[in-house]
Amino acid sequence: MFIAIVPAFNEAKHIFNVVTRLHPHVDRVIVVDDCSTDNTAFLAKEAGAFVISHGVNRGQGASLQTGHVCALDLGATHVLHFDGDGQFDVSDILPAYTKLKESGVDVLFGSRFLGKDSNIPFLKRYLFFPIGRLINRLFARVRLRDVHNGFRILNRKALLHVVITQDGMAHATQIPALVQRYKLQYIEHPVLVTYHEFGQGLRGGVTIVRDLFMDRFIR
Amino acid sequence: MLSIFQILFVCFILFAIFGVVQKRRSGDLGPKGALFWVLFWIGVGVAVVWPESTAKIAHIFSIGRGVDLVLYISIATLFYLLFRLHIKIEQVGRDVTTLIRKMAIDDAKKSLKE
Repeated sequence: MFIAIVPAFNEAKHIFNVVTRLHPHVDRVIVVDDCSTDNTAFLAKEAGAFVISHGVNRGQGASLQTGHVCALDLGATHVLHFDGDGQFDVSDILPAYTKLKESGVDVLFGSRFLGKDSNIPFLKRYLFFPIGRLINRLFARVRLRDVHNGFRILNRKALLHVVITQDGMAHATQIPALVQRYKLQYIEHPVLVTYHEFGQGLRGGVTIVRDLFMDRFIR
Repeated sequence: MLSIFQILFVCFILFAIFGVVQKRRSGDLGPKGALFWVLFWIGVGVAVVWPESTAKIAHIFSIGRGVDLVLYISIATLFYLLFRLHIKIEQVGRDVTTLIRKMAIDDAKKSLKE
């Protein structure tokens, strides 16, 4: 069973379309509503998703892990991480899923830098991403072209190993770090990203580094 | 002759040690923790009653004044405690997430059955 996990926080504007478009490409869509103040949960349910609602806002990493737990419970063989803000293109799913299966790897990371022409803001492309890549190499010891891309496919083996404890955005570094730790096989695959908003800024980046640093001291 | 400040401080220290002993008796504080805090307050007491004693220790570390030594140790201790507190908060945050996750999944399953 191929399950899409969509973490969503105040995504009322996009969530209905995202879920509707996802349906033909996966067996099931799980939307983890991270205590949105708008009607994200209602719209996701209307669109036919299985909705899990956090009673308190816990962050994107926490939402993904909630999705993982539920997907394992439902008997998922593969899961897809897909952002709820409509920045990804559903036509990337099937080629990516096929590539993952054919190459026999455990994890597929989406990348904005492998051919597809995403409209990445200038500051992100030339300042934030290079710093992010450096941080990834430092904390995760993984060389990924695209550091924080929310498009991923994990098989069941990876799902059992990748337990996200980084509740915030630092999960995007923690996932490759866990992939490396458990010696899971991975590939990168080009995906299209359409920016509706800037996303992570400098402040977000500083928080990620802080979270990764603090993680070293938490049992 | 002790100054008013010193007398007040010694009273406070005795009160603090009394508190530590009580916490130890009620089981809120382990033997190591109790020993640390008793020694800590005795150390503070020595520094208050005999201020020149801190100067002697300061000289060993090539620090000019005893007050400076106390200040440096205090700042270092405060930073350390703040760091520990930060870690504790992070841990509590993760525990909260685990709870929220369990509740959310249970609720979703329940609504699916209905």
